Amino acid sequence: MAVSIPHLREQLAATPIVSPYPHDLAVAIVCDTFRLASQRPPSQAEWAKLEQRMKNPLFQEQVGMLAHVLVSSDLRKKTVLYLTADRTPQARLQQFFEEVHPLTAEMVRSNAFRQEEFLRKWLSALGADIEGETEAESKRHLKELDYRQAVTDLRKVEEARKKEADRRQEMLQEAARKDAEARGWRE
Amino acid sequence: MTLGVAPKARIRRDSHTQRPHLPWALDVAAGLARGAATVDEVSARAELEARLPAFRDALLGSPYYVRVLRESGLHPGDLRRLEDLRHFPALDRATLARHWEDVPTLPAASDECVVVKSSGTTGDPVNVLRDRRDCLLMWAVLRFFTERTNTVPPPRPRVVLLDALPGGLEYSVRLPLFHDGALHRVSVLRDDTVARLRRVKASVVFSDPEGLRWLLAHPEVPSPQLVLTSAQHLPGTLRDAWRQERGVPVLNYYAATETGPLAWECLEDANRGRFHVLTPDVWLEPEGDEVVVTRLRPSVLPLLRYRPGDTGTVRRDACACGFHGWTLTGFGGRGACAFHTPQGRTVDAWSLAWVFKHHPLRAFRLTQVTRERFTLELSGAPPESVAALCERLTAALCNLGWAAPVVDARGVEALASAAKPLPFRCELALPS
Repeated sequence: MAVSIPHLREQLAATPIVSPYPHDLAVAIVCDTFRLASQRPPSQAEWAKLEQRMKNPLFQEQVGMLAHVLVSSDLRKKTVLYLTADRTPQARLQQFFEEVHPLTAEMVRSNAFRQEEFLRKWLSALGADIEGETEAESKRHLKELDYRQAVTDLRKVEEARKKEADRRQEMLQEAARKDAEARGWRE
Repeated sequence: MTLGVAPKARIRRDSHTQRPHLPWALDVAAGLARGAATVDEVSARAELEARLPAFRDALLGSPYYVRVLRESGLHPGDLRRLEDLRHFPALDRATLARHWEDVPTLPAASDECVVVKSSGTTGDPVNVLRDRRDCLLMWAVLRFFTERTNTVPPPRPRVVLLDALPGGLEYSVRLPLFHDGALHRVSVLRDDTVARLRRVKASVVFSDPEGLRWLLAHPEVPSPQLVLTSAQHLPGTLRDAWRQERGVPVLNYYAATETGPLAWECLEDANRGRFHVLTPDVWLEPEGDEVVVTRLRPSVLPLLRYRPGDTGTVRRDACACGFHGWTLTGFGGRGACAFHTPQGRTVDAWSLAWVFKHHPLRAFRLTQVTRERFTLELSGAPPESVAALCERLTAALCNLGWAAPVVDARGVEALASAAKPLPFRCELALPS
């Protein structure tokens, strides 16, 4: 029952997305997936509320990519198996869209790492097992791939580097000033 | 003879400061020896991948990579295995030339960084930031090469850089990293070259094919134990002549200023043209038809998927020479070119590349059209630099044996761009 990430990625590579899914169609595909598991999908109003809560301009394209990965691979079939009644569809969707926040459709389409991250985050929202990995390993992989955290880290690193470069520039200016002052005194 | 056409060079004299780096140099040599002897590919890859965490940190310290990776939706943490590299953007020579200040990490004072220019053999020199260990690496690799060739240097061995270039630069410094030896740069263009070489009694000689031919023609100079060259077109006859006449192996290695040494040509006669990669310091991506280098050795200049512009295919190999690792075959970079003096002597045209090193040229092509006449095509060179360049080139040709060379310079819009341009050509019709 465990999900094979390489297998899903192979299937996705064989079925490249040619044009973005219209939002209504994408929502319908996701809703149908919940129905296949005999769960009541979010209503139109609940989708609107979810979108409002996310405050994310990428929300609709992310829904489109979720629909694409569901219909273009075994992921839909596997999803149905893991949709247990202990969590509502809204709770799973909210967790997923919060976690994939900065991922664009283009990243998921063309970037191997972001595609894997997108798939893993969906599987994490389902609580699915990943083939060949313990739960701890899956968590570690997800953490390594976390683009949201990476962007924050990159920003911090850049700020620290800029601060250090500014500090060195100031030291150079200070040294030049002292040198000029000393020269003036000698003259 | 007109010497002094070489660009100025700053020679570091405080060679005693090499000493603290000796354990590092021994470690590098031992790592390369292990890398060349690891039979199991999985273990070899594990050794390489063990270097990825430090490399990821270096990428984080590089403003260029931070920006490029973010623009590509990537981050250094995505690089967990060697296979992941193919998803990362490559860095070509022209981009490194444009962003040379942004690619390095912020150096510490202890890194003792210097900026060097690549040889400019494509007519487009690259500024390269090097830390102290980048500058010293060749001596660590030389330790590996001497072990590989079963060369046992005497105490305090002398290493000679035999220079056949038209510059005529010479110097002598101590070399604590290589068995407490000394390094002498000796120009074949000086009048007392033979006397100096007899005094020095070099154990190891580095030179280009032109210098090696010169040395072979001077049996009065004591033979070294090992000869090294980084000529991409080392004539097989020259290597054979050294072995047969002097009993000395010629080790031909592949290196670039930006990357440092990358591979060496197998010494087995049957395996000529097969360059064994210096893992685990560098990783050359397998199966493509172009050289793509990721440098896994720590450096102030992280190089991720760097494309030096050379062609070749890398494959896992178990060689008859005893090497186990990755081997570069079909290696092609610079096109070999020989110019011919009026006296009929052959001169490696690439020995003139140095003349172009410090000129702001985007491209050039030097063609020998008659024994004395050359055409120099320049693209994008500032007009005020042309006269000075022609003067230096003429002086360099005089140093190499031309009595009255004539250089006709002309501007062209663009020169054909291959992976690496072929900036030297000879149109002389020679009798067979």
